[in-house]
Amino acid sequence: MATETTAEPALAPEQEGQVIEMSAEDAIAAISQGKEKILHEVRKVIVGQNQVVEDVITTFFAGGHCLITGVPGLAKTLLISSLGRALDLKFRRVQFTPDLMPADITGTEVLEEDRTTGTRNMKFRPGPVFTNILLADEINRTPPKTQAALLEAMQEHQVTVSGVTYALEEPFFVLATQNPIEQEGTYPLPEIQQDRFMFSLIIDYLPKEQELEVVNSTTSVNVQDVAKCIDGYTLMLYQEIVRQTPVAEPIIRYAVELTARSRPGEKDAPQFIKDYVSWGASIRGSHYLILGAKARAVLSGRPYVTIKDVQSVAAAVLRHRIVTNFRAESEGINSEEIIRRLQETVSPPKSGL
Amino acid sequence: MTSTPLAETNEQDELLPHLARIKEARLTILREMRKLVVGQEEALNQILIGMFAGGHLMLQGPPGTAKTLVIVSLAKVMNLDFKRIQFTPDLMPSDISGTEILEQDQTTGHRVTKFVAGPVFCNLVMADEINRTPPKTQAGLLEVMQERQVTIGGQTYPLPKPFYVMATQISMEQEGTYPLPEAQQDRFMLSIMMNYLTDDQEIEVVRHSTGSTRVVLERVIEGAELLEFTGYVRRVTLPPQIGQFIVDLTCATRPSVAGCPDFVKDYVSWGAGLRASQNIALASKSAAALEGRSVVTIADVRKVIMPVLRHRIGLSFRAEVDRVSIEDLIGKIVAITPTPQGA
Repeated sequence: MATETTAEPALAPEQEGQVIEMSAEDAIAAISQGKEKILHEVRKVIVGQNQVVEDVITTFFAGGHCLITGVPGLAKTLLISSLGRALDLKFRRVQFTPDLMPADITGTEVLEEDRTTGTRNMKFRPGPVFTNILLADEINRTPPKTQAALLEAMQEHQVTVSGVTYALEEPFFVLATQNPIEQEGTYPLPEIQQDRFMFSLIIDYLPKEQELEVVNSTTSVNVQDVAKCIDGYTLMLYQEIVRQTPVAEPIIRYAVELTARSRPGEKDAPQFIKDYVSWGASIRGSHYLILGAKARAVLSGRPYVTIKDVQSVAAAVLRHRIVTNFRAESEGINSEEIIRRLQETVSPPKSGL
Repeated sequence: MTSTPLAETNEQDELLPHLARIKEARLTILREMRKLVVGQEEALNQILIGMFAGGHLMLQGPPGTAKTLVIVSLAKVMNLDFKRIQFTPDLMPSDISGTEILEQDQTTGHRVTKFVAGPVFCNLVMADEINRTPPKTQAGLLEVMQERQVTIGGQTYPLPKPFYVMATQISMEQEGTYPLPEAQQDRFMLSIMMNYLTDDQEIEVVRHSTGSTRVVLERVIEGAELLEFTGYVRRVTLPPQIGQFIVDLTCATRPSVAGCPDFVKDYVSWGAGLRASQNIALASKSAAALEGRSVVTIADVRKVIMPVLRHRIGLSFRAEVDRVSIEDLIGKIVAITPTPQGA
């Protein structure tokens, strides 16, 4: 379990000199300006989907991975590749299929001859996971072993092939999509593996007027280009600043309570949790509530975290971490509804932060 | 969108001669095709609409409906570099995109890896019986279709332009097929139905095919010209009320959207996505351009609705029980979508 002090990205030695001395306030101002620039660029090609764009940017600044559920044809790939371009990051897409093998993601060893000596040796040919942003399309179409290979890479930021460990490039983000329809022949991600994703987002059809706007712009000649706003190195510095944002004790307590109350086995659990939930959120729930809230605060130019920041990420953090039971299903209660009721039940700290 | 009416008029005037060339191209292509292909009028028109819009096409229909003949003939007439890939259960992604081989340098004796381009490096690929190959290989082709480039060993190789994939599928009921997932079907702009000929047409085919006259097809346009035409197609005007009609129609196919008709809720398990609206709009522009017109009419839209939507809507179990076909359903949705005034 990662705590807030671990998993600091190692900076390359030649880049260390570039660290700009900056006060926390200046850095936060730079971050929120950076976000505005990214939004401005992405808006050139993406119409609507404000919440999803905002949430994906939040995970980038927090250094987390994202699970996106939505029907095909909603421009998920375009959205993610445009964000990749705005951030000057390398982008790869992998279509997950029932016959995809772990090596198709991580890479394989091939026999190669050394030109100077004439000896042959095994050379590692890196797979598509060696990139900054990996779009894992329809991850639930692939069998568990291949899913596990990706999830390991997500967690460790490294892959091991034939006993040799290779570090992935930094920053590294996985955005996995799931198709909610056509459940036949799919392998749903086990709860424990869903837990690795910081946010679970839902992408829906655009409102009609926006769909019309997309149709007009994409079937005519003007093609807008996305300009680069921030590079990967700067993004990692910004992630550090996000992590350094202070959070008041009562707010952490609120986040922990929100998570803990979702567990039906605990004695303090509200009745509706006992009735409808078979599995509550793990400690990663609290962790990502706070990390997400920090990113939200910094991205809106504030050096402190408020209760609102926690509440604004609650659905995205807890959605995939709360598993509802059969009774909930038969009564039409989903995890969304549970999260809403949780937020009503757990009272925020009185200081009014 | 920001140009003034006057500028728009000028642009239209400038566009019209090009559209006249496109219309002329359609007529000459069809004239050549008629030397060999009997019937299939509607399918041929739809194929041209798709090609002039720069889209990939899926050809459906029972065996022996001249699917291969049509594609091969089109490649000749348009002077497109053509390759046919027979999809089999043991086909691998590298059989399509290409592979790296170890090669010995004649002069130095060293071995180096060399990229051998796969059959996808051409202008027109016929992907025959695409659903007979396992998913990873299907995904390999679909990725190439989308990105128009191949990445192998960290190197990126762009495909020639123009680039078209025309795929055929064998009937789903047959054993040993891997149905294309719905997200991947969505990458084909049009799904075109080729049906059996009428008796008279079939007699004509038999008379020709058992006779001794050899038909030579002339090239009438070049690939580069076709590429240029796809640029002009995008400049055709889509009036706002027709754009609205397209979006209304697509939205009406989505059972999860509030206000959709009751029969859609009963018979549809998933509706058409954003790509459906985009492709109806682009295909309508192409249909207008092929007739030399610079503004899309409702008749253009009606021509392309069926091939755009056919593979983008999933029918529910109840539709199967009640024997509602996809064509019935689309027809019903079109019938209830209000037509814009004055279009």
